Amino acid sequence: MAEPSKSLKPEKAQAQEATVAERTKDRRTYIPVVDILEDTNNLYIYADMPGADDRSVNVTLENDVLTIEAQVADVSFDKHNVTYAEYGIGDYYRAFTLNEPFERDKIEAKMKNGVLSIILPKAEAVKTRSIPIKVG
Amino acid sequence: MAMRYLTPFRWGRRNVPAGREGEGYPIDIFQREMNKLFDDFFKGTGLKPFSEEMESFGEFTPQVNMTEDDKSIQVSAELPGLDEKDIEISLSKDSLTIKGEKKEETEHKDKEAYYMERSFGSFTRVLPIPKDVNTEKAEASFKKGVLTISLPKLEKEKQSQKKIKIKAG
Repeated sequence: MAEPSKSLKPEKAQAQEATVAERTKDRRTYIPVVDILEDTNNLYIYADMPGADDRSVNVTLENDVLTIEAQVADVSFDKHNVTYAEYGIGDYYRAFTLNEPFERDKIEAKMKNGVLSIILPKAEAVKTRSIPIKVG
Repeated sequence: MAMRYLTPFRWGRRNVPAGREGEGYPIDIFQREMNKLFDDFFKGTGLKPFSEEMESFGEFTPQVNMTEDDKSIQVSAELPGLDEKDIEISLSKDSLTIKGEKKEETEHKDKEAYYMERSFGSFTRVLPIPKDVNTEKAEASFKKGVLTISLPKLEKEKQSQKKIKIKAG
């Protein structure tokens, strides 16, 4: 079991959800559900975004805010009547504040079957190290 | 009025598109609104009496949309993270079954979790089909985590929806 780093506190990693007072788009925007995991070297983010187009997915890191955005192609059936609907169709948006330095150039993002996976490698400086104790 | 709207242990069960009972009757609409009010009140609290929430806690259940026109019925389901190989669809005369399992991308071993909003596991959803469909010509596709099933209606169903002309007297 690797020693989890204590520097990234869960409450700090909290999502800063879209708190826009005014809607600037005529489409609905959904907050995707995510799993965030961490080991000694990386932080892993998995977001469920069914219907999102691979090319429309945008992952940006500005200062310490990581933003996930994706557009969903409009699948409307012109003359179809909705018999039954459990989910709505719209775009995705979610932002996270990171309070730990990451290797910015080595961040990887992948989209597969509607799931976005992001791997953020931790910067050398913040990796957990165990310090060997010398016997004097 | 449908009996299932009046039985408390059925509140909050997923309403499946079975026919079109009571459509348009004000008292039914009222009844449904009232049930919805109760459901919404208890939603997410885990306190709902006779709830399904407890049974299915943490398990993945795909969400389904159904649309239709005079030629076909389209069923779509959100299945993020599944592969087409993981999905099994079977069609009988009056129901459509979607089966599958959503697996996690990574092992949790050696990893600390901060956020666990997503759910995993195997699921089965059975959807009654309100109209007769041509089971031979049913098609399914899976793209970007969304499953779309197209069920063409039978000829006689198409005909039964014909408009009736009114002759001028």
